[in-house]
Amino acid sequence: MPEGSILSDDFLRELINVGEVDILVGLPTYNDAKTVAQVVQAIRTGLLNYFPRQRAAIINVDGGSRDPSQDLVRAASISDLQHLSNIHALRTLHCISTRYEGGPASGIALRTILSAAELLRAKVCAVFSADSTNTEPEWIGRLLSPVVKDNYDLITPTYRRNKFDGMLVQNLVYPMNRAVYSKRIREPYPTEFAFSGRLGSYFAAQDIWSQDVGKEGAGIYLTIAAITGNFRLGQSFIGTKARVDTGATDLVRAMRQTVGVLFWSLDPNFSVWSSNGMSEPVPTFGAESDLTLEPLRVNRKRLFQMFALGVAELEPVLKSILEPPTVEELQRAAALGEENFRYSDELWVRTIYEFAASYHKQVMNRDHIVQALAPLYRGRAFTFLAENRDASAEEVETKVEGLCREFESRKPYLLQMWNERK
Amino acid sequence: MVLPQDALWYKDAVVYQVHVRTFYDSSGDGIGDFRGLAQKLDYLQDLGINAIWLMPFFPSPLRDDGYDIAEYRSVHPTYGTLDDFKTFLDAAHQRGIRVIIEMVLNHTSDQHPWFQESRSSRENPRRDWYVWSDTDTRYRGTRIIFLDTELSNWAWDPVSKQYYWHRFFSHQPDLNYDNPVVREEMWSVMRFWLDMGVDGFRLDAVPYLVEREGTNCENLPETHSILKDLRIKLDQNYPGKMLLAEANQWPADLRPYFGDGDEFHMAFHFPLMPRMFMGLKLEDRKPITEILQQTPEIPSACQWCLFLRNHDELTLEMVTDMERDYMYDEYAHDKGMRLNLGIRRRLAPLLDNDRRRIELMNGMLMSLPGTPILYYGDEIGMGDNIYLGDRNGVRTPMQWNGGWNGGFSNADPESLYSPLMLNPVYGFQAVNVLSQKRFDHSLLSWMKRIIEIRKSTPVFGRGSIQFLYPANHRVLAYVREYGKDSILVVNNLSSSAQAVELDLRKYKGNILIEMFGRNIFPRIGELPYLLTMGPYQFYWFRLRKI
Repeated sequence: MPEGSILSDDFLRELINVGEVDILVGLPTYNDAKTVAQVVQAIRTGLLNYFPRQRAAIINVDGGSRDPSQDLVRAASISDLQHLSNIHALRTLHCISTRYEGGPASGIALRTILSAAELLRAKVCAVFSADSTNTEPEWIGRLLSPVVKDNYDLITPTYRRNKFDGMLVQNLVYPMNRAVYSKRIREPYPTEFAFSGRLGSYFAAQDIWSQDVGKEGAGIYLTIAAITGNFRLGQSFIGTKARVDTGATDLVRAMRQTVGVLFWSLDPNFSVWSSNGMSEPVPTFGAESDLTLEPLRVNRKRLFQMFALGVAELEPVLKSILEPPTVEELQRAAALGEENFRYSDELWVRTIYEFAASYHKQVMNRDHIVQALAPLYRGRAFTFLAENRDASAEEVETKVEGLCREFESRKPYLLQMWNERK
Repeated sequence: MVLPQDALWYKDAVVYQVHVRTFYDSSGDGIGDFRGLAQKLDYLQDLGINAIWLMPFFPSPLRDDGYDIAEYRSVHPTYGTLDDFKTFLDAAHQRGIRVIIEMVLNHTSDQHPWFQESRSSRENPRRDWYVWSDTDTRYRGTRIIFLDTELSNWAWDPVSKQYYWHRFFSHQPDLNYDNPVVREEMWSVMRFWLDMGVDGFRLDAVPYLVEREGTNCENLPETHSILKDLRIKLDQNYPGKMLLAEANQWPADLRPYFGDGDEFHMAFHFPLMPRMFMGLKLEDRKPITEILQQTPEIPSACQWCLFLRNHDELTLEMVTDMERDYMYDEYAHDKGMRLNLGIRRRLAPLLDNDRRRIELMNGMLMSLPGTPILYYGDEIGMGDNIYLGDRNGVRTPMQWNGGWNGGFSNADPESLYSPLMLNPVYGFQAVNVLSQKRFDHSLLSWMKRIIEIRKSTPVFGRGSIQFLYPANHRVLAYVREYGKDSILVVNNLSSSAQAVELDLRKYKGNILIEMFGRNIFPRIGELPYLLTMGPYQFYWFRLRKI
């Protein structure tokens, strides 16, 4: 890799061959050979169906796969050398690939995609995740059309989800992002999204790429940057998303990439969020939310145990982060036992805002602050599961909306903590 | 000058397509004629072309620009006499220019005496010279070609009270080629012109000669049999003469028209032409290379005819619906530019009068495998008039100078067969031969130069082609080889500068000599050969091992 560049010479040569494009679709991969062929074919079909005349390219950024992920992407090219009898395309479609070392890093992948988009002067970009097992060509149309045809700058997806899927988003990321930045974006940390070249260039120029947020949390920060930069936002319903079951999710890592970035973003954007008012909806194409009710097997007992254990073991840490009444209340709640425990909306919002303020004040290592939130989130998740066990989709939606309003109404508390706490 | 006695002369030809009516009026009646055409042969010789393809000049009611022939063995009186034609033919030959004439085998005018006799009664001896029927339901699987004007391939004849078959306009009844007398008569017509000295025929609408129930009445084996029979007679009696097929078909369907080298010498490659325009607009070589990949090998003595524009609309029959929509949107946004399944525009307006694109397209025309055909006036960038009906907008008078009637005729402007182009961009005062002759860098001078270079080597007319497929899809690159000669052609289809790496290892050790400026480029080594190209630029390199 040439010094000071994130693009290898080989990749640059491939970009020269691609040339200027209208649409660029980025596809980060890491050992996704089981799914990536289906994903890239769906993207290709979507491009041919919805944007047959536009110049398009699919750019794979691989985190060092040991499987043939890269080859599978390249094989989807349409050219005068690769004849696909079932496909009729006006144009050449380049599917090119590059890789970086050191394992998957969403920020490096996104930055590479943004750099490529800028070099190719892409008017519209999209990023898709390679681990989806049901990517549909229609997703291309639904996500990109508002950007291509209506000049939106960022289109995030809304999904058809099980009511207990995405609990971190429903209980924290969505409501807090909505309260702080005043935009009702259901999926602020999407794995599929489309954006304008204008937003891409703006975001690529942000001074974040050498920081942790640039390496791990660029995804959600793109949404935040779009909001704070007054770009034109929208969301589009794409339906159910299924992904490969890779076993237990690394909750702490997920929280770093989402909550950690959300907390981090409050400092540089204080002037924006401290002065804006109540949230407003963003234009939505299709359903804003669509919940399904199939039973989901979750070990609630284990969630409560981890919550209670965390409150006990992390007492000194929590006392550094939270106000004394909040700590006491949590300890009382943990002592109630599984049957009687409830993590109320009010207590949850207070907890989060105090964590955010402590993150701002750097009362300790910021990464430790985010880690300390994990057991508390498990307590909240336990409550969400319990309260909604028999709830209808509408009831769940009402509860999520209630939590969002709690976050919004208590925003002055965040400001108070922000300014007061030493 | 004596014409070279090479039986494959048509492979090396650069053909100029012209209608005698449009070129030069010597008599002052407002219509071009053979004496006028003969007077302009020096111009054509200077341009460098070595064959002329004449559109129909026979007596005709001219309801289809002469493709409705009413007498096969004569010249339309407004164009002159048979003697005038003979004088023109001899003068062309003296200048080394061969003459190919149009022969409409498939149909005649309804004013032709044969048809008048045929329709006069069902018992007339010429009744079965045409295709008659009591119903209009036969041959239902046959498409209608002129969709904008015709509702059926059958027309009712009120005289003899039967339907007659016509694949084109209803005033053009199809001859009945199942009748051996018709076949013999048409060969007799051809003999008449061959005896006079013409060098070849462009046979119009050949796929439609024979009809059979249950088929689409195109490309039938019986049709090929008739054409092969003509070819045998031609070779036996008139060696060195050439047959050119007009068959607007896919390459695979066209291939049988070459037979085993025993049917047509040449055939138009219709599907390539719209794809050249498509590739240019898309800035992507894919449409061009794909259609050429689908083009079957043809016998060694045969040749494709390539063209950018002609007297008809830019036909979009041989493209998909998606491609047609794209072409319409990009090249014919004004509905008045569309006709049937095509676009009735000339080359320069199609390319926004962009000199770079005009040169690039001509560069490809001259370097892809085949014999190039130039449409009259395109060598100076003439425009079109879409407000004239049918395809008349691309058939306006040749623009010789900026004076009276553009130098085309001394007649009153109102009496010309067609209005001249008058607008400030394409009008005769802006675009004409005289003004372009004065400048070395005019389009006309450039066309002379590229024709000269094309003719400087047999490679373009006779050589093989190997595509290079560089990763940059905006660049179309190929090597033409014939004997020991190799020419590398690189075309940038893009409106922006491009870098391209070519895998030329097969030619390692050769130096590149650019054929227009004769400058030397670096020797080919092991590494990919890097070229940078300006917008719409193209290179022709001779490969030399020195």
